[in-house]
Amino acid sequence: MGMEQAWVLPAIPATLFVLIALFNGLMPRRGDFLAVLGMLTVVALVFVLMADFMQAFNHGHYEPQGTNVYAFDWVNIGQGFFIIEFSTYVDAITMVMLPVVTIVALMVLIYSTGYMKGEARYGWYFAVLSLFVAAMLTLVLSGNLIQLYLAWEGVGLASYLLIGFYWERQSAAEAAKKAFVTTRIGDVGLLIGIIMLWRATGTFDIQEIIAAATSGQIGETYLTVAMIMLFGGAIGKSAQFPLHVWLPDAMEGPTPVSALIHAATMVVAGVYLVARFSPVYAEVLIARDVVLYIGLFTAFMAATQGLVSNDIKRVLAYSTVSQLGFMFVALGVGAVGAAMFHLFTHAFFKALLFLGSGSVIHATHHQEVEGLGGLRKKMPITTVTFIIGSLALSGIPIFAGFFSKDEILHFLEADGPVWAYPVLAGTAMLTAIYTTRVVMLTFFGEPKDQHAFDHAHESPPSMAGPLVFLALLATIAGFFVFDQVGEALGFAGGIGYLVFIDHPHEFTSIDWVFAGTAAAMSVIGVIIGWAYWHGDAERARRARGWAPDLHAFLVNRWYMDHMYQAIINRGILGLAGAVAWFDKRIVNETGVDGGAQTFGYFGYRLKFLHTGKIPNYALGMAVGIVALTLVAIGG
Amino acid sequence: MIPIENFLVLSAILFAIGFYGVLARRNAILILMAVELMLAGVSINFIAFATYLDADAFSGLVFALFVIAVAAAEVGLALGVVLRLFRERRTANVDEADSLKW
Repeated sequence: MGMEQAWVLPAIPATLFVLIALFNGLMPRRGDFLAVLGMLTVVALVFVLMADFMQAFNHGHYEPQGTNVYAFDWVNIGQGFFIIEFSTYVDAITMVMLPVVTIVALMVLIYSTGYMKGEARYGWYFAVLSLFVAAMLTLVLSGNLIQLYLAWEGVGLASYLLIGFYWERQSAAEAAKKAFVTTRIGDVGLLIGIIMLWRATGTFDIQEIIAAATSGQIGETYLTVAMIMLFGGAIGKSAQFPLHVWLPDAMEGPTPVSALIHAATMVVAGVYLVARFSPVYAEVLIARDVVLYIGLFTAFMAATQGLVSNDIKRVLAYSTVSQLGFMFVALGVGAVGAAMFHLFTHAFFKALLFLGSGSVIHATHHQEVEGLGGLRKKMPITTVTFIIGSLALSGIPIFAGFFSKDEILHFLEADGPVWAYPVLAGTAMLTAIYTTRVVMLTFFGEPKDQHAFDHAHESPPSMAGPLVFLALLATIAGFFVFDQVGEALGFAGGIGYLVFIDHPHEFTSIDWVFAGTAAAMSVIGVIIGWAYWHGDAERARRARGWAPDLHAFLVNRWYMDHMYQAIINRGILGLAGAVAWFDKRIVNETGVDGGAQTFGYFGYRLKFLHTGKIPNYALGMAVGIVALTLVAIGG
Repeated sequence: MIPIENFLVLSAILFAIGFYGVLARRNAILILMAVELMLAGVSINFIAFATYLDADAFSGLVFALFVIAVAAAEVGLALGVVLRLFRERRTANVDEADSLKW
């Protein structure tokens, strides 16, 4: 398969969505095997596509911009005035996204056959997962912004459906609504940005827009506003401050969904969007600084919230928000390669952590870390793989997260403001601490809930298999950074060279002193976490006593949800009340009813004129005719 | 040739008599007859002008024929209404048929 047939990738899961959604009742096992086999095919095709891409790349046929293939004109108004093509675009960034999306999706689908066993709406679950994959692949393959926007909303829809999968539960229904509405606020910004870019360039084609913007055809202020608007979409989808509030609540969905959509793939769509437009962001540094500061603040804020959360999935959700912040920091200093690299490694180890937490929840029906403990004796595979994922997240050397996080810190120190590096390095250390906390409380120490502990068991092979495979990836994915590994796999220069083709020597060497510092901080973080929490919930409870106000501040998520609720209650509902009053009193009662009453009053007063006697009417008519005739003659 | 004024005066007189009849009479049958007089006045006007302005054109004559045909239909209908009224109220006096108000 060549790059011209890339449209096949989203077409397969899209077809499966229709088939499984409509006919899952007729299929054996409700069609789950179809979803898995289809995904397997897609993964295989991605590797074929990748081989094709690498061949062109290594033989110099590859153009740095990638390959744009037009399938057909979707909309064409006014002889080319307004064209939307249906096109696919394959370049190095796409080539990073495709394996991430498809491999994690395959693992999650296999895992789900075990995790979701016996659930109601089992077939529908696989149908919507297929829909999500179709939309996500369309998103990363889009050659133009309208198609991208369509897919962007498509993944949002799938996310909504899956967060609210257990819609019988009030909290799940509300979380789905919250996610949908919150991301939609950002999407408005994205749409405004798209329209602004179209007005300035007359095209939706991403590469043409980038070419126009980088050649200075668009005014700088205009472009800055447009790019900040685009970033608004990324803020919503990638759960950055101030629209981050939906992601922790999105954990109401089934855990494999959290792994796929709310950790590995959909939430990085914002990172992908900014990376895709990175040449333009390099032109408008104010917009890029916005990306940097939002990312930096979000990374720190979410890490502090993850430190105190009691729900194993929520801790992971906060860490996802935080790690996405890391990626935006990298984009904010122009290190696209580092951001995409972190996206790549993060997808594997975070999906692993989520699936591991799903395995724990599946076994114990508990997800409060302070009610767990000692599970290493009962669930060895889950424990080992979860620890590998944690080490990768903490940034311990040789595991994937170390290399990518190190790259981000490195670029931030080199190109960012002086004070930003210590903040992010501190955040990385916090990451290590809260990750270790979860591991300690869940898998070590004495079981706190004996009943749940007795009931616990290792997960079936369908769930353990993906865990092992992702653990392997979480261990080795970082090595793609090295030239030697890249060359051995058939692409010279490693992932940095692949992604950031304009600066091919990004990753040729590692600054060992710098890396050593970062690694030391991570190790210190892990040691702090271990020393404090090693299996003793009493200490965790005592930690609250140190600074109860600070603890309450963190547990209540910096009171941001309270603030939004207050804004909605006082501001929006107040305004709505005023508008409703105006509509009721002024428009309806005074305008409409008042007008009708005026006519009613005059009608009542003048009804004596209607005697019902024919001669009166005839006389009236006669007088009228005479009068009109006189007027006509006189005029 | 008789001057056109003669015809116009005749038609005006007929129309005025009919008009007076419609306003002054109370009997529904008499009112209908008065309406017929007014229509006759109008028809004379049509024919006079048709002949004097363009003797070869038939439009005025056709109008007069239409007026006669429509008047016949209208009287047929109106007499039916008057008959119903008489059967209901035992009178054809229009002053007494005044319940269609307010």
